[in-house]
Amino acid sequence: MSSFILKRSRNSSSFLFQNPSNKSATLNSSQPNNLIYSSQNHTVFHSGFSTFLLNNMKNPSSSYSTLSRRMHRNLKDMILASGFSVLSVRSPSGSNEVVVFPRGCGLFGTWAAVEPSTSDGLTVDGIVANNWAILDESESDWKSHAAAIAQSIQVIKRRLQWKKLKVRLNLLSAELNKPDLWDDPVHAGKISREHGSLMGKVKEVKAFEQELLEHIDMIKLAREENDTDLESESLQALLSMRRNSKERELEALLSGEQDPCSCYIEVQAGAGGTESMDWASMVMQMYKSWAQRRGYVVTLMDEMPGEIAGIKRATIKVDGEYAFGYAKAEVGAHRLVRISPFDSSKRRHTSFAAVAVIPMLGDGSTRVQINESDLRIERFRAGGAGGQHVNTTESAVRIVHIPTGVTATCQNERSQHQNKASAMAVLQSRLDQLEMARQAQMNAQHTQSLTEISWGNQIRTYVLHPYRMVKDLRTNYEVSDPDSVLEGDLDGFILSYLSASLDKDEDGQ
Amino acid sequence: MKLSLTRACCRSYTFPIFRKPSSVLPRAIFHQSLSSSSSSSLKPKTPLFLRPPKHSATFSDLKKWHDWANTLAYEVGSSFADSDNGPDSSILCRELKWLLEDSLEDNSLIPHLGIENNPNSVKLRIALDELYGLWKERIEKRKPFQYLVGCEHWRDLVLCVEEGVFIPRPETELIVDLVNEVVRDNEQLRNGIWVDLGTGSGAIAVGIGRILGSKGKVIAVDLNPLAATVAAFNAHRYGLQDVIEIQQGSWFETLKGFEGKLSGVLSNPPYIPSDDICGLQSEVGKHEPILALDGGLDGMDDLLHLCNGAASMLKPGGFFTFETNGEKQCKFLVDYLENDCSGSFCNVSIVSDFAGIQRFVTGFRRAL
Repeated sequence: MSSFILKRSRNSSSFLFQNPSNKSATLNSSQPNNLIYSSQNHTVFHSGFSTFLLNNMKNPSSSYSTLSRRMHRNLKDMILASGFSVLSVRSPSGSNEVVVFPRGCGLFGTWAAVEPSTSDGLTVDGIVANNWAILDESESDWKSHAAAIAQSIQVIKRRLQWKKLKVRLNLLSAELNKPDLWDDPVHAGKISREHGSLMGKVKEVKAFEQELLEHIDMIKLAREENDTDLESESLQALLSMRRNSKERELEALLSGEQDPCSCYIEVQAGAGGTESMDWASMVMQMYKSWAQRRGYVVTLMDEMPGEIAGIKRATIKVDGEYAFGYAKAEVGAHRLVRISPFDSSKRRHTSFAAVAVIPMLGDGSTRVQINESDLRIERFRAGGAGGQHVNTTESAVRIVHIPTGVTATCQNERSQHQNKASAMAVLQSRLDQLEMARQAQMNAQHTQSLTEISWGNQIRTYVLHPYRMVKDLRTNYEVSDPDSVLEGDLDGFILSYLSASLDKDEDGQ
Repeated sequence: MKLSLTRACCRSYTFPIFRKPSSVLPRAIFHQSLSSSSSSSLKPKTPLFLRPPKHSATFSDLKKWHDWANTLAYEVGSSFADSDNGPDSSILCRELKWLLEDSLEDNSLIPHLGIENNPNSVKLRIALDELYGLWKERIEKRKPFQYLVGCEHWRDLVLCVEEGVFIPRPETELIVDLVNEVVRDNEQLRNGIWVDLGTGSGAIAVGIGRILGSKGKVIAVDLNPLAATVAAFNAHRYGLQDVIEIQQGSWFETLKGFEGKLSGVLSNPPYIPSDDICGLQSEVGKHEPILALDGGLDGMDDLLHLCNGAASMLKPGGFFTFETNGEKQCKFLVDYLENDCSGSFCNVSIVSDFAGIQRFVTGFRRAL
């Protein structure tokens, strides 16, 4: 991949050079972060440059120091928001030059931006490339802090799928620029919401990056001027950034559009009778415990018990922030190897349970419109004359969406009306999921329904005999204590999968 | 509360006058109604979930009870289901969970029950030994779960019920949907007078009381004074005391003066043929008021009475829905309403419940 990078340097005039396409550069996403900053106010800027910008353009000889960093940043944002690209370049003479050209007619195509750097040209990728030793947090070494933070920023960018994000953001910006956008307010709302949310993520990372570079500048300045107070203050700031960066790395794992949603988790027993039904109920129990540990509210929606033990299938609702983001890592077939307690001759058995995870889209998302007349509502397990003849607390209903054949059942509520309402919610989510899968393949791996999960799509093995181990086949992450995993200690598996899958995606670019 | 119990106090109880003479007198239940009404201080029992949490038990004692109750439930297996279509273990276990939910002050503690030897205590709305007694009655006497907890979840309502008052059925929830469809686009009906005859716990009355317009009224009638008090309690609990008027009486008897003025007549009358009563599921036959179940020889006594009454009471364009025993009664009624009521009705139709059983007959009073 060849791309251009523009660097601002103290000692040289502006120049363009081809990014050496070495491996590390690709991996570290050192490609230019030439993003178009487009925001809702683009129409204002369409009419021309801001006066602020024009003033500074007329006055190219103003020194770098007067063109403060604040201005530098604001200016860049403002110009980029207008759909114009800017190169702010410091010439050897110390004068500042600002070059602005309209979007689409520059060398950089539809996107261009300057990579933020310190006053002496150090960038985040530059810091990582320096390979400064990362020491313990307690060591007051700014280079160590800076290197750790810079690494985190790279991880965060990778997890946010920075390059895809840029492409998407450009697409959305182009869409937002269309004059007839608001002819379809639903579509426009969707576009502008997504744009806003992506923009927010980009800005957050950019600000974090800028903050790092500013602190480095401050430390250098403090050293030049022997200001120990300023130095230790900046060092402290770096340290707190370093601590904060780990949290941000985690957050970046869950940056998908549906990740913040609550979800349904469904477990279905594979072939193998009672042993696999027992396994399915163990898996379901594992998720209930996991969700409770995370502070989610778990509600059993539907359960089909096995004849002797376990469950044939069951659905739970997991309510809470990022429930889908985490749980989606569990989609697939889970394999158990043990000596079956249901086998009188004590043989070793292998059984499977399939897990599906369905996001419950928020109100802001586009929902599938369900036509009442397309529904068939039936009483589940109905028998006998009903009505006054029967007093039962069993009032489960099954709703069939006739055009798609998608069904939903709920039997856990205390009235038929509530069972129907809950089943409708499940049905809505299933239809939304179908629609999502139809519309976009980007999330296809997480949006398979139970029936679509092939038993070959095995993601994890739980061995209780002859040795004890749980191993994820996707990441090779393993633990030797199956009990803790079955008691819901799944976060290690989930996080390793989420980071591995995002890293893989980014490498595949 | 607009509960007028004057009738209950001053009339002499000669039920056969408004009941068909053939109907079996519901012994214990009848007796209870009479004796309590004579004091004119009928008070509905407070359902479990509304009682103050003034009892307490340790987690481990509660767990002991729960394990015991669970074992009883499991031992039932499918024996009830096989003998009279009663509940199986899985249904009983779910009921046990709900009983626990209604008994505990703080439901979030339920997962802690699994912890062995937890010495902490937990607040309960009922004493632990009473819980033992209740569950024993559930399993051994087949006492309906709803009488244990004193409530039934019906639609999005939680209705107070107690022994002597018929427990509203899930099928009947649909009547509210049917009414909703009718009043949605008809302001006149939405703001008219509706009657729920044989209201029992007041389920239909409360259900439609919440969907009628600001001028809409419901008159809920029941012969059983205990049912009338419970219905009044439920109406009050949902803040509908100004919308729902409770009357104690038989069918249209108290509604003199409303001829040709009602916007709607709704009822889930007794419709089980007398011969079927003795074969009913234990929860129903042994515990629920037979007054609310027995519909005479072919189960049609009260339904036919209601059809005749609806013809004279409904105003032109007024709507009616009656719940029935199934296809046979539905078909008979449709034929009767179309051919024997001298053209009083139009758009008579049958609506099935979610089990696919033809359950309701609906129609409109023909406009003159």
